Amino acid sequence: MPSRSATAGPFNRSWGAYAFLAPALLILFLSLLLPAIATIGMSFTDISFLRPTNWVGLDNYFRLMADGRFQQAIGNTMYYTLGVTFPTMALGLLAAVALNRKFPFRIVFRTIFYLPVLTSLIAAAVVWVYLYEPYSGPVNGLFVSLGLGPQPWLSSPNLAMTALIIMAVWRDFGTAMIIYLAGLQDIPEEIYEAARLDGASKFSILWRITVPMLGSVTFYLMIILIVQSFQVFGAIYVMTGGGPLGSTETIVFQMYQTAFGYTEFGYSAAMSTVLFFVILLFSLVGTKIMRRGEG
Amino acid sequence: MSVVATQSNLTRTDERSFPLSRFIPWGERIVGYGLLLFAAFATMAPFLWMVSTSFKADAEVFQFPPSFIPQGLEWQNYLDVIYLPDSGRQLVNSLVFALGSTISNLIFCSLAGYALARMQFRGKTIVFALVVGLLMVPAQSQIVPVFLIVQKIPFAGGNDWLGNGGTGLLNTYWGMILPTAATPFGIFLMRQFFTRIPSEYEESARLDGAKSFTIFWRILLPLARPAMAVLGVLSFQSAWNEFIWPLILTNSRDMATLQIGLQLLQSGPDARWNVVMAMATLITVPIIIVFLFAQRLVIDGAVTSGVKG
Repeated sequence: MPSRSATAGPFNRSWGAYAFLAPALLILFLSLLLPAIATIGMSFTDISFLRPTNWVGLDNYFRLMADGRFQQAIGNTMYYTLGVTFPTMALGLLAAVALNRKFPFRIVFRTIFYLPVLTSLIAAAVVWVYLYEPYSGPVNGLFVSLGLGPQPWLSSPNLAMTALIIMAVWRDFGTAMIIYLAGLQDIPEEIYEAARLDGASKFSILWRITVPMLGSVTFYLMIILIVQSFQVFGAIYVMTGGGPLGSTETIVFQMYQTAFGYTEFGYSAAMSTVLFFVILLFSLVGTKIMRRGEG
Repeated sequence: MSVVATQSNLTRTDERSFPLSRFIPWGERIVGYGLLLFAAFATMAPFLWMVSTSFKADAEVFQFPPSFIPQGLEWQNYLDVIYLPDSGRQLVNSLVFALGSTISNLIFCSLAGYALARMQFRGKTIVFALVVGLLMVPAQSQIVPVFLIVQKIPFAGGNDWLGNGGTGLLNTYWGMILPTAATPFGIFLMRQFFTRIPSEYEESARLDGAKSFTIFWRILLPLARPAMAVLGVLSFQSAWNEFIWPLILTNSRDMATLQIGLQLLQSGPDARWNVVMAMATLITVPIIIVFLFAQRLVIDGAVTSGVKG
């Protein structure tokens, strides 16, 4: 094979490559790298654009530690994240196992389960606001016809977060299903054959073979869902506006309010930095697991 | 690498039949189908209610309990959406934003992916590590600085060379497109694809004296059509559904996208559920149609990226 440097010097080649890379790298710099650095920098200031900016050191972080509203937002975000992640994975796994064999209309079912993933978040959120409508909504319609009392759903501090979680699970389990379906293909058929010859029951095949063999896929999926749920914003913005009584205020929602509602950009940046490092930690762990799975 | 592996696996799903299925008794099959049908119906229910309510007359919307089958087909709701003062404008904005974002992703990610896969240059390892690292930066937690950066772009929107004095790219298509114009995922996807193309293709062209860009444009890009299709569909879908960037980077009614328009319609003082549902239906249908035609592409891309669009 002829050597690559036969026609042009390496120096020349480098400049060509930089030209190919420049536009994309400039965009990534402006939309991801610089913002990440700027957020950390701004979190040490009281920047608000209404008055001169001062360096305040760690004050924003001390304030965060004492801020009851922020602690509530962390609690809400955790509750939401746990509530979404595990049911989504369980439903996704069930759907994947059910669809992992050849039968008529298999693709139709897969398409149906995947449809909520494709819907725009806002359209989905608006539809669910209607479903949860206390006086004329279908969910209460179903409750009444089952002999249960109508519930106030999104306007009840006790139920609002649960209502949001149900919608998120509906929207996300298709993603989990698709990833599990790909994972199931990597399990050798021989293992199943052997288990069946030994007379293992269906349930014990699922529990003893399928679930353990999907370990790294499950972990990877869990990280993705956690990272995604930590950043929930659109659904809250449309469905509850953080209410009632702050019961659905999450970290990103509070960041948005603090920055664009109260123009406290510095304080909002401190919240963002905390969120950023938590998410980065989860992502790093996830990537490590994914690498191990590939190798 | 991973892209290759998952794609070939998915293909296999469709062709490989599990011997297990031949031994499933009839009763169990019926129960299995029953459960699947129930799950499918539950998943579809929100969509079905959306369409059903979109055809109801005003009075019927307030009946309790609501009826699943509308009494008549009230097409007027759809006309009301179409004749809303801003809806034409919002459709144009959504299309410009989604197409702009798709085209720029196709151009910039394929150029960068090609350079990372096929060209030798100093700092290549660092650049690739940077792209992979940026995959992990949560975009939604960067709303504040991205807003400020878009506002401070020099020489735009009345800004001086330091980026002060004007509104920069806020309230413009350029500003909305900028944060989505190239993504680490897109670059990664294209790089993985270009890595798999045998090097003989470009070796012979290089011996004929072709320049890097000619090789890229004439030889490798046509070969990369499948990867470009995945990237194109995913970029379009994610921009069409995008909410947070248009929300933060624009504040005038003239720049609102359909997603913002739907949110405004629903939260407005004289919101009527049947009209709101008609608009939700109109926004959702195009994406579902794109999906039905490009199902394999979207699903392969989703498996590769592990995140929804």
